[in-house]
Amino acid sequence: MDFAIADTCFLIDWSLWRRRDAIFELFKTIFVPETVMREVVSADTIEWITDALIKGVLSLFTETPDILEEARVLVEKSRSIPVLRGVDLPEAICLVVGRRRGYIVLTENRGALMITDILEEYRKVKVWRALEVIANLIKKRLLRTRDPTEIFNEYERETYHRFPRGELEVVIDELRREVGEVA
Amino acid sequence: MSLEEKLEKWRRLEEEARRIRREEADWKFIEKQPPKIRAALKYYIATGDIRLSSSIASMNIQEFRLLLRKARIPVVC
Repeated sequence: MDFAIADTCFLIDWSLWRRRDAIFELFKTIFVPETVMREVVSADTIEWITDALIKGVLSLFTETPDILEEARVLVEKSRSIPVLRGVDLPEAICLVVGRRRGYIVLTENRGALMITDILEEYRKVKVWRALEVIANLIKKRLLRTRDPTEIFNEYERETYHRFPRGELEVVIDELRREVGEVA
Repeated sequence: MSLEEKLEKWRRLEEEARRIRREEADWKFIEKQPPKIRAALKYYIATGDIRLSSSIASMNIQEFRLLLRKARIPVVC
């Protein structure tokens, strides 16, 4: 099992889903940077995070000065390439920790995906959105379903999130090939 | 894939996301909002940048996410 580190956008969307606790079966621990923790304000999300902290499946990540400095440089770099959607400090911290510690970065920020596609020094960082998290939960039989589409549709309905159609079709096709074993 | 091809791929994906946000948004709801909130929602539809949009609206990022739901603007990622 891997470690992961989550940013704000991922946590606030994921916490709205009825199957939100399934993610804790997928990782040893999910770290939440202090910068991210400060952005969470809704009672329900705070309660979910607090419960997970008590169970030890979420942990607080305290940023060190050198991580913050590298993250600030990354924010500047992301803003210097016109097409690239810029990342802000919380996502940048997750990417820096992903690069240094090998943690999987959980985010819904497209800028983070662009960074790992475009910048050579971040190419090896694994970035997972809800799309990849759900796909991995199904692959590892931590979520059981006869039709993976239903699970993705349910996530979209409950969180008001949209998966890019092309990528979703590829993921569902791949899961359907395994679904006989999954169900 | 060359850098130019990658940038072109992201340009296309960003355009697709922008189209989805624009088409699904509840424009009646958006137009009824006070100027700062309306501007922030329109900025979000155009860019998908939730942190800057929430800053324009003078809201916390999670409060702004709830506002996006009310305005029927999806997060596309």
